[in-house]
Amino acid sequence: MPSPSGGGDMRRVTGAPDRTVRALQWAMAGLAVLFIGGIVVWIIHLIRTAWQLQDVPSASIGISLVAIPVFLTLLGVILYVFWGLLGDRGER
Amino acid sequence: MADRADTRDAALLAPIELTGRGFYLTVGLLSLLILWGAIAYWTQFDEGLGVTGLHQPVSWGFYVTNFVFFIGISHAGTLISAILRLSKAEWRRPITRMAEVITVMVLFIGAGQILVDLGRPDRMMNIIRYGRYQSPLLWDATSISAYLTASIVYLYIPMIPDIAILRDRLGKRKLLYTVLALGWQGTEHQQKVLNRAIAIMAVLVIPIAVSVHSVVSFVFSMTLQPMWRSTIFGPYFVVGAIFSGIAALIVAMLVFRKAYGLHGYLKPIHFRYLGQLLLVMSLLWFYFTFAEYLTAYYGNEPEEMHVFWAKFSGPFWPFFWGMALTNFVIPVLCLVRLGRRTIGKVLIASLSVTVGMWLERFIIVVPTLSNPRLPFGEGIYFPTWVEWGELAGSFALFALFFVLFTKLFPVISIWEIREGREVGLKEVEERLLTYLPDTAEPRHAEPERGW
Repeated sequence: MPSPSGGGDMRRVTGAPDRTVRALQWAMAGLAVLFIGGIVVWIIHLIRTAWQLQDVPSASIGISLVAIPVFLTLLGVILYVFWGLLGDRGER
Repeated sequence: MADRADTRDAALLAPIELTGRGFYLTVGLLSLLILWGAIAYWTQFDEGLGVTGLHQPVSWGFYVTNFVFFIGISHAGTLISAILRLSKAEWRRPITRMAEVITVMVLFIGAGQILVDLGRPDRMMNIIRYGRYQSPLLWDATSISAYLTASIVYLYIPMIPDIAILRDRLGKRKLLYTVLALGWQGTEHQQKVLNRAIAIMAVLVIPIAVSVHSVVSFVFSMTLQPMWRSTIFGPYFVVGAIFSGIAALIVAMLVFRKAYGLHGYLKPIHFRYLGQLLLVMSLLWFYFTFAEYLTAYYGNEPEEMHVFWAKFSGPFWPFFWGMALTNFVIPVLCLVRLGRRTIGKVLIASLSVTVGMWLERFIIVVPTLSNPRLPFGEGIYFPTWVEWGELAGSFALFALFFVLFTKLFPVISIWEIREGREVGLKEVEERLLTYLPDTAEPRHAEPERGW
């Protein structure tokens, strides 16, 4: 059942080609991957540093065991929304 | 039906379509305050932290107070919105968006306070390169990053159908709204994806929010400083955060109700419910405060008593008793009977709590540092114009962000209001039937399973 916010031809609506809009939307998803990926890489870097210096690596590992899955879950939700909405523009 | 709904909710789009003189005046006024903050920061950046009232042993003052205060306010949002969503509280519909916006805005301002407090912001890079997870400061950095990410996602996802409405109805910013709407057409599949994502986020955001303020409290309670080392600091901070968050949300609701004429959406009943919630939190806050101070007093440890008396009858007494007055006495007197003049009473209580919770954060941070356990000698903290400028600038920046948001997106969720009218009413009736005895079970109620 379509919502009251019906869609329209993308070019007519925005003046921008459909491909540009799509590219911008996927760029947003890419930014999310980059941002969250960056945080995960940073946490791993801290574990590595703690491990190399034998500076209580268990603390870093313990915290990252909670933090990394949380960030990955958030990324999963973001990608699920992008994939779910952009993959269905009223065709179904 | 859709057209009728469109005209019915025109008031929600009006602030985006039309811009009055009040908007420019507000932005102008806020910009002046932000300019004061910017000049103050530039002075500090140029001349060093010596221009502030911070010194040894009081190395944390307004900035860390603001940090804890703003991070606390952020609980307004996501936590209240998530809990109301999960508990299917129908009265949440006009409230959730504002709560979620507050969260995102204040998290930026709160995290920014640490940069200001550093004096040398370039040293932030040291945390990224050489951070050590033994330090609760780094736990803070991690949990606030998670909360900020979750809050942005939790604000954005429920906004998608409204952005699609703006894309289709407004004649301006087409590209922005088209990109952000993610091709939303309101199909059954898209609705399913959206509902599922909102439900996951609502569940996920609650433990993250609780962890954030617990970790903020650990920055204090993991030390051996008098009146900081406390096992109940985690829940005490979380309770205070929700308390201040509700107060800030009520103030924001009343401001936008007045400014944008949203009386039809934000009704006295909403303020009554939030007022009752504020009253409960005020009592809970008092209980935690009482337990915290009674334990310290009973322990009678000399260093702790030094700080204790500094708060009760020493140089910090106006702040301590001011906190008790604004966080407990005034709210309870205002909220215990909400028969008449509900909105006025709730507003007074909320403004009082907002001031009181800032004082509470101040009274936690500064007196302990003024009376340290190590033999540094006592210190008194007097903020200079630089800290006052930063304080004014931070509050103004938060208000400006919020005002600008309302010019780009609806401050009340249009689709959730429509859903409430079209689906919610029926759902509530059916749900009510399942609660009550001696009523016919609705057709799709769960079949009874025996033990």
